[in-house]
Amino acid sequence: MATQAGADTNGQKVSERLPLSAEEAALLAGATLTDRAIQAHPRAYFAAMRKGDPIHHDKGLNSWLVTRHEDILAVQSDPVTFSVNKGYHEIQARGMHDEFRNYLREHGGGYFPDAIMSDPPYHTRIRKLMENAFTAHRVKELEPRITAVVRDLIAAVADKGHCDAVKDISVPITIRIIVEQLGLDPDIEDKISRWSVAVTAQIGAMQSREQMLENAAQIADLQNYIIGKMKERETDPREDMISDLVHASVTNADGTVEKLTFEEAVSLVRATLIAGNDTTATAIGNLFYVLVTKPGMAELLESIVDDDRKLNRFVEEHMRNEPPVRALSRMCTKETVVNGTTIPEGAHMLLVYASGNDDETVFPDPRKFDIERLNLGRHVGFGGGQHRCIGLALARMEVKVAAREIVRQLKDIKLAIPESEIQYTPTVATHTIESLPITYAKR
Amino acid sequence: MGNLKVIYTDVNGETRSFDDVEEGANLMETAKRHGVEGIFGDCGGGCACATCHVYVEGKWFETVGPPDDIEYAMLDMVTDVLKDNSRLGCQIKMKAELDGIEVTVAPTSGM
Repeated sequence: MATQAGADTNGQKVSERLPLSAEEAALLAGATLTDRAIQAHPRAYFAAMRKGDPIHHDKGLNSWLVTRHEDILAVQSDPVTFSVNKGYHEIQARGMHDEFRNYLREHGGGYFPDAIMSDPPYHTRIRKLMENAFTAHRVKELEPRITAVVRDLIAAVADKGHCDAVKDISVPITIRIIVEQLGLDPDIEDKISRWSVAVTAQIGAMQSREQMLENAAQIADLQNYIIGKMKERETDPREDMISDLVHASVTNADGTVEKLTFEEAVSLVRATLIAGNDTTATAIGNLFYVLVTKPGMAELLESIVDDDRKLNRFVEEHMRNEPPVRALSRMCTKETVVNGTTIPEGAHMLLVYASGNDDETVFPDPRKFDIERLNLGRHVGFGGGQHRCIGLALARMEVKVAAREIVRQLKDIKLAIPESEIQYTPTVATHTIESLPITYAKR
Repeated sequence: MGNLKVIYTDVNGETRSFDDVEEGANLMETAKRHGVEGIFGDCGGGCACATCHVYVEGKWFETVGPPDDIEYAMLDMVTDVLKDNSRLGCQIKMKAELDGIEVTVAPTSGM
């Protein structure tokens, strides 16, 4: 919050904590993000934290939830103290690390730590290597192809008058696009959805041992598939992203050049295939959700769909209003005071982007969908700092094209089940609708 | 090491000049290398965020030219600090005609 309430004993600024109502205090004392009901509808929990205990220890999750916009920015700006490498790999298969890793070594060609989920300076050179594939100008060149994919998928269900907006449209869109870009076989599209769920579940902090092993089996299958494709491209490079990654080299600070190791390349192909796929599908699913539940949204989108500037702003406000990735991990590598709260060494933290995007002191009337906000780009739906989402331009483009094609092909879109029956994927990391039956008329 | 000159006024108002900038280097990378306050370059130079926003001063804006549509879309996300001479530093590549260019780091978009 912008209000400065004072300073701690080290002279650091500490922003104001407001008194909580009895109801809010009870919520903070009793609620946890591991509760599926809270996961589905967390706004009241986040709001109570933002108000009175902005860096709150969630006992059920054993994690510190960073909920104010300013604190999320502060943590993101220090990627050494607040480690993504340790935060990500610690929450992965939490409590069952060794079994998870050994399973992949035995069945999945190896355990490959995520090279991009690392800390500087290593992270800096890995990221540099990936950035050229995802520039906004490169993504713009893909727009016609993305449009063709989206148009075909929506056209395939337009006549029926009903479909599952998540399973029939949102998930297939992002899978088909990444399969084409990486250069994978179209017939694996069905598997990718299962693989994506499995990888995301490992960081969701909600798995039983049986689920962890089922998901590990899917990840092993995924790794065996991509290792096969990478070996093909080693000898027979093509114009696709797998070939780019297999043959990529990185330049060190001293000017020496080294190739990525095979293990690093496997992890980066896996990340490219999964990371942007599930999350972008979630963003498109959430777009359908707001169109059918938030009054005036369908009319708003219809009125601005042919105005490129306004459509860009609509997409950005959607990323603020319904961020698909609602929280990601860090680990505190040394005892640190953040805005008056002492975070112990080794503590797990979640940067709660969905809360930062609702911070009333940065986005007045945050539940209002307002494409005229003067600080649209200030949202943290893509994270920020050195770990800001690398695929953000591609994600924006996919959501934008989806928004455009939905309006051009469908009208009178309605939710086909009661809103209270919408099920969310059990995870702390994303806010993902599992299934969204809708009805509509063809335009 | 190059021999082109860039003058930055950082977000705190401090002006610093660097005369060893190579042709082809962009103004985001150059600022980060020298620790110019207020330039972050989160997206790595992909024209996909607005954390290297600068105002190109005086006559230099004419030489640099206006942003293209893709760059404008990003600048439009920080409307509260957008000016007629706004550009993203990552999209300005140094060349002989820009030798001596003066830019001011834009403040962070806020409320």
